[in-house]
Amino acid sequence: MDFITFENVERVYRMGNTVIKAVDGISFALNKGTFNVVLGQSGAGKTTVLNMLGGMDSSTSGRIIVNDKEISGMSEYDLTEYRRTQIGFVFQFYNLVPNLTALENVQLAEEISPDPLDAREMLQRVGLEKRMSNFPSQMSGGEQQRVSIARALAKNPQIVLCDEPTGALDSETGRMVLRLIRDVSNDLGKTVVIVTHNAPIAEMAQTVLHMRDGKIAKTEFHEHPKDVEDIIW
Amino acid sequence: MVRGTLFKKSLRDMRKSKAQFISIFIMATLAVTIMTGLDSIWFTVQNNADAMYNATNLSDLWVTVQNPSEQDLWAIRKIDGVTQVEKRFSTDADTDLPGATLHVYALNDRSTLDQPEIQEGRFSKNGAVLDSSFAKVHNLKVGDTISIKLDGIWLQLPINGLAISSEQVSVVKNSATLVPDPTIYGFIVIHTSALESVYGQKVYNQISVKTASGTNLKEVVQKADSIIGDKLIGITLQKDSTSVSNVNGRIQQFKILSLVFPILFFLVTALITQSTMVRLVENQRTQIGILKALGYSKGSILWHYTSYGVMVGVLGSLTGLILGPNIFGRILVPQLQLTLSSYRLHINYWNFAFALLLILLCTGGISFYACWQLQKDTPAVLLRDKPPKKGKHIFLESIPSIWDKMKFSNKLIVRNTLKNKGRLIMSTIGVMGCVGVIIAALTVKSTIVGITDQVYGDTFTYDQKVIIDPKKADSRYLNNLGLNGITQLIQESAIEVIYPNGEQKMEIITVTTIDSPLVQMKDIDGNPISLPENGILMTRKLCKTLGIDKGDSIQIKRTGEDYVPVQIIQVPYMASGQGIYVSDSYWKSLGEKFSPTAILIQWHGPLDQRFLQSDVVTDSATRESQHEGLSSSMGVINFAVVALIVMGASLAFVVLYNTGILNFVERIRDLATFRVLGFHHREIRNLVLVENYFSILLGTILGIPIGRFISWLIASSLDERMDLLGNITLPNVLIATAMTIFFAWITNSSIARKMKQLEMLEALKSVE
Repeated sequence: MDFITFENVERVYRMGNTVIKAVDGISFALNKGTFNVVLGQSGAGKTTVLNMLGGMDSSTSGRIIVNDKEISGMSEYDLTEYRRTQIGFVFQFYNLVPNLTALENVQLAEEISPDPLDAREMLQRVGLEKRMSNFPSQMSGGEQQRVSIARALAKNPQIVLCDEPTGALDSETGRMVLRLIRDVSNDLGKTVVIVTHNAPIAEMAQTVLHMRDGKIAKTEFHEHPKDVEDIIW
Repeated sequence: MVRGTLFKKSLRDMRKSKAQFISIFIMATLAVTIMTGLDSIWFTVQNNADAMYNATNLSDLWVTVQNPSEQDLWAIRKIDGVTQVEKRFSTDADTDLPGATLHVYALNDRSTLDQPEIQEGRFSKNGAVLDSSFAKVHNLKVGDTISIKLDGIWLQLPINGLAISSEQVSVVKNSATLVPDPTIYGFIVIHTSALESVYGQKVYNQISVKTASGTNLKEVVQKADSIIGDKLIGITLQKDSTSVSNVNGRIQQFKILSLVFPILFFLVTALITQSTMVRLVENQRTQIGILKALGYSKGSILWHYTSYGVMVGVLGSLTGLILGPNIFGRILVPQLQLTLSSYRLHINYWNFAFALLLILLCTGGISFYACWQLQKDTPAVLLRDKPPKKGKHIFLESIPSIWDKMKFSNKLIVRNTLKNKGRLIMSTIGVMGCVGVIIAALTVKSTIVGITDQVYGDTFTYDQKVIIDPKKADSRYLNNLGLNGITQLIQESAIEVIYPNGEQKMEIITVTTIDSPLVQMKDIDGNPISLPENGILMTRKLCKTLGIDKGDSIQIKRTGEDYVPVQIIQVPYMASGQGIYVSDSYWKSLGEKFSPTAILIQWHGPLDQRFLQSDVVTDSATRESQHEGLSSSMGVINFAVVALIVMGASLAFVVLYNTGILNFVERIRDLATFRVLGFHHREIRNLVLVENYFSILLGTILGIPIGRFISWLIASSLDERMDLLGNITLPNVLIATAMTIFFAWITNSSIARKMKQLEMLEALKSVE
């Protein structure tokens, strides 16, 4: 049973007279509870795919179906509800709220989700039980990214979307963050989609979508994805 | 000087922060408009009035005395400092136009003091020069005739000229009239020889005295008093004469307003500049580093950022300098109901310079200060990334019982608000000013509208005041009036008074029967006061202006006799009708005669027309007619009220819009994060706008005392003859609050509309 389906999805940006086809008619399907990577150079359209899937951007044409619901063509309000209940985001630059402590940043998710996980427990899971009352400015990049993973998962979403989650981290920290994303979402049965330009990360995915110029150039399936420790970066 | 490229940069920077710089511009413009505008009002009035006093050779003092002798004149002329003395005749007279009274000045051929300023025709022996405003409303022209009644004898006079007078710039018929009304009161100048047909000879009752500048007028008054002796009726200094003191009151009123009102606007200008420039300079941290690295000097970088404020400030000031005097001075001065020979705008360049200096301090000075902090760092430090914004634990967190129960969004709002205290103060001051100004506007209006009710409802409970001719109404007649209603006899006249501080001037004295059924006196707290048997009552405002109080003694001049000391027993509060009140029995005990000049009547049936038409009655005024006089002045008041409300609204709009937008722009990344997490627009709007709700609440509460203060300030300087308290009322406070909330709501909705356009992707893309 396909959990996420893209059917002939297009996304066209118009800027004055120039028309840019960021996503040029792509179709794919992903299963529930899997770990997936969208791989491509910058400008390949991979972030646009992630944004459309996350309900942050809408498609120009085609259908996007998530969990039996068509999200393409949803109203602004419904998209917000969708993001609120179904999606957890992890960004390259963490996007924590500077004025809230680590715990409060996670509670943020707790507060708006209908069925949240305990914020303290999530922070324990990412190994930050001792930094709960610290503000983002008092934490390292890796710690901040762990807070943002805790925040994404605390909402108890169906899908966790990560945009270059290791982009701003050194390789050791990056590895730890990736392991965390995979382990925690495995335990909780979440579907993960990671967007990256970093090819070795793809080796740990079950499905890899290779994107080039707004199209899917190649789809790879790994029966036995590699463990994070075995990836050479 | 501004360098070419840097200048282009500043223009582009300003375009980027359009809303902020427009706000600074509007506030600077408003501040300078209001300050120079109010300034230009009094300055224009003062200059034009002074020019008119000089041109008409207005006397420095007048000695009122029945039939002054040549010796009197000669003796006064000999007083040190006196340069010129003349005698004239001056009195009020009825006319053949119903309800209209003219003040008659009878002058000699050779008179040079207190001349009318002739606008048409000329002054001649066999005719009269008539008040030109009076002539205009009554459609009288040179060549027409008018009749006046002097001592019961009608005198028909050809109108030979039209004029205005320095003594009639701002006068009202009597204490019941609020604003000058040329349909019922004016003046006429005649030749003393015209009096011969009435009195059988030339008569005089006043000596006009001109002194050299710098003369001690107090000494002149004392000497003149002793020269005239018991015959003296009173001495009036120029500054105490009705018209001059009314004009000075107006000047004083606008002087005070021009000092108090702009403060709020200058303060808000400074605060807005501060919040804008701090943000701008901080955002340009790297750019300052680049400029420094390129080799721009400290001074030129400082000047570059200072010039943002200076440019907007100077532009705003110049706009204000053009708008202020033109709107207030040119348009409002002619509306002040002053009859001046010229309304030519006079500009006080010193005040111009002062306003400009103030605004430069508020804009340029603040910009300089904002930049000063950053330019001290080395280029290397500046080029490095800005240290991340720090979250801080706040005091409230140490009280877990409150903090832990708060929703995260409230926690965020509290932390954010405390981080930007300056902005909270700015918007609170703005809202405070808005509430205060609107309360003041409404209070002033309801005070003025309510004067008649207050005066005729509380103090004077008569329906009609009938002026009678004392010569025709002896005590036997008055005791047997047989009118259907309550009556009260009163005697109103002017009396010379010497105060404990040596000041000497004429005051209005009212003598009436001790039971006083139709004049209810109360003290400031509302406790009733009755006329004493052993002393006088002196109204609160009069006591306050002279610095005396209950228990003090003053000296009053008796008719044809010397001064006698009398004690102030009580101080009644009266909105209108300032002066001295005594009982007829006490008056008689001083050796004076009680000869009523008016009857107050509260009718129990229809008006007794037979009585009102009798020749004893010279004039009568009903409560309704007082109301009518008032409505003619409502136009100016309504204009002032609208102007004040617009001022208040712009104050609130500018500050709230600024805080809202800054709050939004500064946190655009956070807010985008919230959007991504699945927060709805409404929830995000609250995150930004609750801060505004705080300042609206706080500002409204603080605005009430401010409104009270401004109301009091305006009310107490509104009219010399009135004792207005300007007390704020609950309905006015509620209306002002509702209006402020409405303005705030409009502002908040326009911010919310802007927020809806938030592109979350754009905001999250770049980390700066």
